[in-house]
Amino acid sequence: MGVVLGYVATLGVYFCVYNIFAFGLNIQFGYAGILDFTVITFMAMGGYMAGVAALGPSQPGSGIYYILGLSLPWPVALLVGAAAAGALGYLVGLIALRRLRSDYLAIVTLAAGSIVLGIVSNSNSLFDGSEGLVGVPQPMNGVLKLTPNAYTVFFLGLCAVIMVICWLVANRIYRSPLGRTMRAIREDLDVAEAYGKRTFRIRMTAMVIGCVIVGIGGVLTIWFVTALAPAGWGTSETFVVWAALIVGGRGNNLGAVVGSFLVAVLFNEATRFIPAISSLPNLIPEVRNMSIGALVILTLWFRPQGVVAERKARFFEVPLRTGSLEPVPMVPAPATGSGAAQ
Amino acid sequence: MSEKNEILEVRDLRRSFGGVQALRGCSFGVRRGTITALIGPNGAGKTTLVDAVAGARRPQSGRVVFDGHDITGLPCHKVALSGLIRTFQISREYPAMTVLENLMVSPQRQSGERLSTVLLRPSRFRAEERQHLVRAVEVLAEFGLYEKRNDYARDLSGGQKRLLELARAVMADPRLLVLDEPMAGINPALVDRLAEHIVRLRDERGTTFLMVEHNLDVVERLCDEVVVMAVGQTLATGTMAELRANAEVVAAYLTGGVPADVRAQG
Repeated sequence: MGVVLGYVATLGVYFCVYNIFAFGLNIQFGYAGILDFTVITFMAMGGYMAGVAALGPSQPGSGIYYILGLSLPWPVALLVGAAAAGALGYLVGLIALRRLRSDYLAIVTLAAGSIVLGIVSNSNSLFDGSEGLVGVPQPMNGVLKLTPNAYTVFFLGLCAVIMVICWLVANRIYRSPLGRTMRAIREDLDVAEAYGKRTFRIRMTAMVIGCVIVGIGGVLTIWFVTALAPAGWGTSETFVVWAALIVGGRGNNLGAVVGSFLVAVLFNEATRFIPAISSLPNLIPEVRNMSIGALVILTLWFRPQGVVAERKARFFEVPLRTGSLEPVPMVPAPATGSGAAQ
Repeated sequence: MSEKNEILEVRDLRRSFGGVQALRGCSFGVRRGTITALIGPNGAGKTTLVDAVAGARRPQSGRVVFDGHDITGLPCHKVALSGLIRTFQISREYPAMTVLENLMVSPQRQSGERLSTVLLRPSRFRAEERQHLVRAVEVLAEFGLYEKRNDYARDLSGGQKRLLELARAVMADPRLLVLDEPMAGINPALVDRLAEHIVRLRDERGTTFLMVEHNLDVVERLCDEVVVMAVGQTLATGTMAELRANAEVVAAYLTGGVPADVRAQG
């Protein structure tokens, strides 16, 4: 019983974490049209910084080296991780958003991600190079003294609460004039600019908020796994998040949830538990990547808007004022041309 | 006309692209409360001029003065915030947003565009949002698009997109509206409708218009003043009747717009 519960709770944690990644990417891509091809870098930055904020100082003789080591309580570590991811997002945005759009912007984000990956893997003093951080303390694990499975259930609860908060924040932005302007910029940047919108600033807002949310997901990841190494956040991981958003439906946070469930939980995580064939140890991960790719292609082919399409904006109905103008019929215009029709 | 009466003054604007001199010293003024047309053969530099005035392209020299302020070389959004809104030669609605939303984007300096307001004080922008909504619905009704308010803008017909373009510009409350070929590619009945809307906006709201237009009948009926451009320069200004009598203007139209002195230079 405990094993099954632990298994389901583990999937639940991944579901929540991928939801958070997908919300972050949705704000960047679904709202503002920013092709962020390095989502996972911001997850890693959030995770690493929360890790080194929570871990004790690095011991000189231990062979494990990392910066900071502040032994901060977990809520503070969460904020440090989120802020660090946002700050990295700001830096990438400074380079990528000022002059570039669409494909070129995507190339720059991809390059920035590769640079960060290269630096982190090769610098032993930053986050212990390719070995990565290990033994990151889990929130309240020392206090609660639960069995591993019970702790997983507790952790799922924590993730769910944080996930719901991110969801509410993302939805509030979507429905606000800010979200509307982001979508206008996604639709046509030049026109938005010609209507007095500060497109650079608004795209930067989307970039940073998205990175902060992805970073929060990264903090939850490192807490859950208690470790994070460069092998865990390669470029291919970025595309799991992208696949989730595209399959679920970009521009719609419910779509992000559905996509995370289909791609990240059903396809990606559930297959991890299938026993591997000993002669072909790489078979299952490869099959998993192939099926995610196939799912994206099928979605784009048959339902490009995703499983849950972007919702049409609804405003409360404002009745036309009495004595106001009647709607003018489009065709046919009378020969005299009484178009104003008052 | 006094200087004060001019809402827009363009002085000796120059801009070249590589070897092509698109603007070679363009000067004219637009009087407040008029509908001024900008005409000229293809390649005369009209769109470059609109881009230079609206901040989409920096002029290499010259001045643009809007309502007493020097706006030369300001970025687009700052020009727009000062009250000069331009539309584009082809309809560029926000396709995957509804007609109503297209209008709701336009009001400038919305407090709900600030992240801190959105997250911490949503009540602040809700009242403002309601005012914009009431206004947007009125504008849509004026333009006969009320029934279409919840349709995606991409689903409108070509003519309706033209109306939306104008309605969206009105929502931004411009003092000067620069229209780049607003009548291009629409049928004569709709041309009349658009023309009536433009006259109505000038009379009711006091909006000044500068419009690039090829249809000279429309220009004659609609416009108080006409500026003729050819090969990057202003050739003449005046009413349509005056211009018809101007041999140089007629020649410019017939010869593709190369004035005698430029031709002599080779």
